Amino acid sequence: MTDKTNDPVAMWQKMVGEMEKGFNSFANQAMSSPEFSQVVNRAGGVAAGAQKQLGELMEKYLVTMNLPSREQVTSLAERLQSIEAQIGEMKSMLSQMAANAGISQGFDGTPRPPRTKRPPSENGGQT
Amino acid sequence: MNAPAGLDLASIPERIQSEVQRAIQRSIKGVEYFSTSGPSLGSTPKDVLHTRGTMNLYHYRPMSDEIYRVPVLIVMATTNRGYILDLVPGQSFIEFLLKRGYDVYMLDWSAPRPEEKSLRMEDYVLDFIPDCVRRVQADSGEQDVSVIGYCFGGVLSLLYGAIHKDGPMKNLICFTTPIDFREMKLFSNFSDRRYFDVDHLVDSVGNVPPEMILSSFEMLRPASRTVSQIQLWENIWNDEFVKSYRLFDRWATDTLPLAGEYFRTITKDLMWDNKLFNDTMSVGGRAAKLEDIKVPFLHAVAEHDHIVPYEAAKHLVAKIGSEDKEEVMLKGGHVSLVAGANAVKRLWPKLDSWLGKRST
Repeated sequence: MTDKTNDPVAMWQKMVGEMEKGFNSFANQAMSSPEFSQVVNRAGGVAAGAQKQLGELMEKYLVTMNLPSREQVTSLAERLQSIEAQIGEMKSMLSQMAANAGISQGFDGTPRPPRTKRPPSENGGQT
Repeated sequence: MNAPAGLDLASIPERIQSEVQRAIQRSIKGVEYFSTSGPSLGSTPKDVLHTRGTMNLYHYRPMSDEIYRVPVLIVMATTNRGYILDLVPGQSFIEFLLKRGYDVYMLDWSAPRPEEKSLRMEDYVLDFIPDCVRRVQADSGEQDVSVIGYCFGGVLSLLYGAIHKDGPMKNLICFTTPIDFREMKLFSNFSDRRYFDVDHLVDSVGNVPPEMILSSFEMLRPASRTVSQIQLWENIWNDEFVKSYRLFDRWATDTLPLAGEYFRTITKDLMWDNKLFNDTMSVGGRAAKLEDIKVPFLHAVAEHDHIVPYEAAKHLVAKIGSEDKEEVMLKGGHVSLVAGANAVKRLWPKLDSWLGKRST
């Protein structure tokens, strides 16, 4: 067996690990300064403003190209979601009705196990 | 010339052969890596009980002949997908709970749509969680519900529990949940109120983009992504390593946007004013004091958590009003605490032994 201290692969891996720690630690120190926060947030503020303007421009472009607007697509999505929600409600009602009739079953129609489990210590170690 | 101490010259040809084989394997597996989509995640059988906008409530199908009386509702962090708790069979927290006899529900989040930018903290704490709890009660036929919150899901669960002090929460478990936001040093510096104009950001972009959330997480360890890619290349011949890498990498980069108004409140009330820690937090005009949580409480924290450092989480147990409360610190990081090989050995059995006797 090769000693790890002389194994080039192990040495490389150790070096990468040490470099990672060192760089993370150095970067964390640098990022803890108020100056870093100021610079990053100034850049972020400009980017956010640019993103807003770009969004408005895109909307105008879509209208010009006679493509569906985001509102129209969203309204379709909302209608779909509302239909899904109604199906969910119906399944939930059916499940509730089954429970009221004394049939304990899941959405897939299979009966649910009884809620009688005790922790292992109370069962003499059985799970 | 003598060989350096510890170097076995006889092993060198064998080592070279092994490295050449690995290099060949790297090329073959590298092509495989880029041409396949990786394992399917979150595949434990479940039913969608309810969806409403960003909110999804799942019920996982029981895997045991007998289940505990009290159902469990898991509240996922709003920044990430819930499948971290249901990676693949054998590495799924959900599957573990089901096999141990728990009836498991999960409140998971989809990306909020642009129209949902106005969702407030009130919507999450006073509407989404109570709605899910009511649905769990109706579906299970039980009044009591245990709640497990992961990371910021833990913060939401704490706020819910503190406000709904008369029930129906039976037990509360938090994983890596921060309450002292001053101690999240880098996040605190990124959102320094002198330089971070949260109003301008939210008013400009609506929902906070996932790229921004991901960047802020990655900035906590800026070299780690590059190093993990180097490690992937070194180990790409190793199927187990690649599988694990893909599981976690996919989840870590699958970050969700945050609803604008909700993010505004997190920044102002938690990051700037540290209201949860200072006992001045309120949601929708209702005071949320941790001392009002009186149910059995467990907080699991990770020794090497770089996202929620222990300093940010350590006062939680002391502030909770319960008599039955416990903090457990386990080896691992923010994610490996709850998922992966270490969680299987450490957190999951601990949770089972704590929760089982409180679930009858």
